[in-house]
Amino acid sequence: MSADVKTNLKRLLACLGLGVVLALMIGDQEGNQTDFGFAFKAAVFHPRILIFLGIGVLLYLAMTFRPRVAPYLTRAGVRPLAAGTASVVASYGLLNWSDSGNLTNGKLSTLAHGARDTSGISVIGRLFFGSAVPGLYWILFVLAIALAAAAIIVQKSALAWGAAGLSVLAGVWGFVAHEMVRSYLHSPDHSTGAFVALLGYATIASASVTVARTSGSEAATGAFLDRIFGWKPGFPLFVIGTAAALLGTFWASWFSPTDKNTSVFGMSDLFHGYPINGLTSAYLGWLVWVLLVASVVVAGAATWLQHKLLGWASVLVGAVALLISLLSMHNFSRIAADQKFDGAVQAWQNIGTGAWTLCAAFTVLAGAGWMVARKPVDAAADPVSPRPIGSDSLVSPGKSFAFTQAMLVVVLAGALFYPPTATGFWQTVLVTEIGTYVLLAVGLNVVVGWAGLLDLGFIAFYAIGSYTTAYLTDTLPVKPPHWLHLSPLMAIPFAIAICLVAGVALGFPTLRLRGDYLAIVTLGFGEIIRIVAINAKSITNGAQGAFGIPQPVVHLGPLHLKWGQDPLQYWYLLLVFIIVVVMLFRRLENSRLGRAWAAVREDEVAAQATGVNTVRVKLLAFAIGASTSGLAGVFFASQIGYINPDNFVLNNSILVVAYVVFGGMGSLSGAIAGAAVLTWLPEFLKAQVPAEDRQMWIGAVILLMMIFRPAGLLPAKRRAAELSGLDKVYSAETAAVPAGEGM
Amino acid sequence: MSLLEVDDIEVRYGAIRAIKGISFHVDEGEVVALLGANGAGKTTTQKTVSGMMRPSLGEIRYDGQRIDGLPAHELIHLGICHVPEGRRVFPMMTVRENLEMGAFRFKRPDPQILARVFELFPRLQERIGQHAGTLSGGEQQMLAIGRALMGKPRLLLLDEPSMGLAPLIVRQIFSIVKQINSEGVTVLIVEQNAAQALALADRGYVLETGELVLSGTGQELLSDDRVRAAYLGEEISS
Repeated sequence: MSADVKTNLKRLLACLGLGVVLALMIGDQEGNQTDFGFAFKAAVFHPRILIFLGIGVLLYLAMTFRPRVAPYLTRAGVRPLAAGTASVVASYGLLNWSDSGNLTNGKLSTLAHGARDTSGISVIGRLFFGSAVPGLYWILFVLAIALAAAAIIVQKSALAWGAAGLSVLAGVWGFVAHEMVRSYLHSPDHSTGAFVALLGYATIASASVTVARTSGSEAATGAFLDRIFGWKPGFPLFVIGTAAALLGTFWASWFSPTDKNTSVFGMSDLFHGYPINGLTSAYLGWLVWVLLVASVVVAGAATWLQHKLLGWASVLVGAVALLISLLSMHNFSRIAADQKFDGAVQAWQNIGTGAWTLCAAFTVLAGAGWMVARKPVDAAADPVSPRPIGSDSLVSPGKSFAFTQAMLVVVLAGALFYPPTATGFWQTVLVTEIGTYVLLAVGLNVVVGWAGLLDLGFIAFYAIGSYTTAYLTDTLPVKPPHWLHLSPLMAIPFAIAICLVAGVALGFPTLRLRGDYLAIVTLGFGEIIRIVAINAKSITNGAQGAFGIPQPVVHLGPLHLKWGQDPLQYWYLLLVFIIVVVMLFRRLENSRLGRAWAAVREDEVAAQATGVNTVRVKLLAFAIGASTSGLAGVFFASQIGYINPDNFVLNNSILVVAYVVFGGMGSLSGAIAGAAVLTWLPEFLKAQVPAEDRQMWIGAVILLMMIFRPAGLLPAKRRAAELSGLDKVYSAETAAVPAGEGM
Repeated sequence: MSLLEVDDIEVRYGAIRAIKGISFHVDEGEVVALLGANGAGKTTTQKTVSGMMRPSLGEIRYDGQRIDGLPAHELIHLGICHVPEGRRVFPMMTVRENLEMGAFRFKRPDPQILARVFELFPRLQERIGQHAGTLSGGEQQMLAIGRALMGKPRLLLLDEPSMGLAPLIVRQIFSIVKQINSEGVTVLIVEQNAAQALALADRGYVLETGELVLSGTGQELLSDDRVRAAYLGEEISS
């Protein structure tokens, strides 16, 4: 008994300690030179310490009563409820609800404070922001969550329906209120808060519906999702696409030169009398509605009836609608720039969210059709019957295949049409941080994730790619032969070839080493490349690096493209690179080579015994990873225009490894997600926490991730098993040998 | 002409001579056992034959062709399939994936051979979708043998198939090896379990610290006093 008390006491103390640490982490960090303990005192001797100690006590209670709570946690709806709660909290607490200059930091609390007494906003909106009851939105939120939680605990469907209704109300109300503020402020708005809140509430509502509809106390939400997405492949996409199309046409602005947010209804009038071409005038007048209705109807019919031909028709209609939309958008924005509507100088400027949302909607609707058209014939085949031998079984489409496909389409639509609506800051981040590191992570995933070789000098190949570009574009002290002056894009094959050679050159002598030893050698290689770049002044221009690397141009028959300063242009170039590389690598993963990598990673001797040429296979992994890195290097050099050895420090190599591990080793989508999240996070935190705390919060996120999802964000199936232990995967099977045996 | 001729090979680990010049041969259709205590050089010999190590001296001929120094992934194309010591299945691959890896030298696995493997080892079919790491030791050994069979061996190299297994399972596995042999696959087996191995083998060789000390048919060796003393643990009244 006393031992029990002792553990409890220890736990309580630990939790309180954690509260104090949190109090230190959150809040002012500045000290001064005479009072070194200032930050500590400010954090600890302050009433708000009680809040953090309260958090500690709550944590203690949660840990102590976990055994009693745990059974409820496996019930249906718990995980989406948690996800929805997290998004709403993030939206209410962290995200911007307005980025208009009229309001200081644009978060919901600021917005609400300003808006609730503003007479220009309708009473419905003001009510939401707390004109009658302060903080009404938080109250609504807590009520909805409490109802949903109660419904899960007592399994009363009436409560669940109540929670669903309340969350729909809160979500829509918040969205509408935000719209009112937006139309009152009458300025362009890139904020995401209201959207995220709406999505979060939708998640909570669907969780509540799940709870109301499941009678048993244990039904996995994952299975529920699989059922929804597997029910009629493409149908969820149809719903998403239709919703986006309606939002894009009825709600969002299409064109926003200074202080004129014009929705699609006003476009025709706005451009009346201006020399827009016939297609555009038809489009703005009536064609957009025809296209909208046509693509929604065809996609709806295709997904509902699961008719292949209709599916292809839907792809076609969506593609045509997209093309016409883009042509019209180009035309009217160019005319607007020509006619000096405001400071716009070229096409594509000032186009509002609505047009881009509609484009995304057309893409998603076409994607819905594509899912129907490409549906495997034997999708309903009995899963128990053995598959035909020789089918690629190392990566088998799971039952959530439809879900993956749908996600793919949505992500693609987002990647294509979200960036134009983002702020300049985020566009730059997207190109220089997120996109570049996604490409690098995808490349490193081949080496680390698939072949299982830890490479800590990956950035060296990035450097080689960059310097190759600099050399070929004549910006280094050493000059290429005069017949070899190339534009940056033409340097790609050379950079890839040189990185292939460099990868093999590094790999050949070192691949006999394993694990830690290989990591150290590659680390050394990375440093050698960087230091050579610093010291070989006559070749690389030393620490100053290369200047004036030209921007990419494409002259391909009638096609003339020239990249300038706009990050958006580079984003699309990068997107092409990423898509090509990812598609190639997906093939590779399922190929013989991919299987050979898996075999080498799991057991090199056994791989040898089954006839895998292990040396060649590992060299190939090195070379392929290196050439991807080289490609990223070419992009980087030509985008930024100047390079120096400081761009290629060891820290970057380690970061790329961290992205791959964070995302889930050996999983392509994981590498992409890991790199995207971890490059996005620091930029996002810029607006949330003091600059000097940023790294600490990132560290905290990584730590939490590694504790709760050790296999990564989107783990590869096999890796998940490797890390969590086989007994968890096959708990029902008789575990006859320890997982380590037989290695 | 023998299928496999090993002619006076010497194998070194750096300065250590693990195999000090041994010669033996395996005829087509035979089962030949290599016996010896720990450290006698059995596994080294077999690794040399399978191409994972190369001899510093001597020749290995297979089907009349010199193969010493050829790497394992080329030897497998000649039909030399190796079941390495300690089973070494791919723990995170399923049973089916392991078997398919065994057929890596072909463009795609031969369904007939797969069916034959399942016939020999019905347990594997029961566990077809299970990760190999979750199998019992005996099942893993079956899987390792099945995986080697998927490569259509002409010469099957078995390294200590009885290691760490219950006597019942050992008997079962040896009877299956016998069956495989009766279908025309030549078998070179390395064993410490002399009684089982010699009962199965047509001929055997006894290795001691890198040298061949005895050879003969299975029966001869089984009745040899020295073998009985060293490997069967019997008291010899000389």
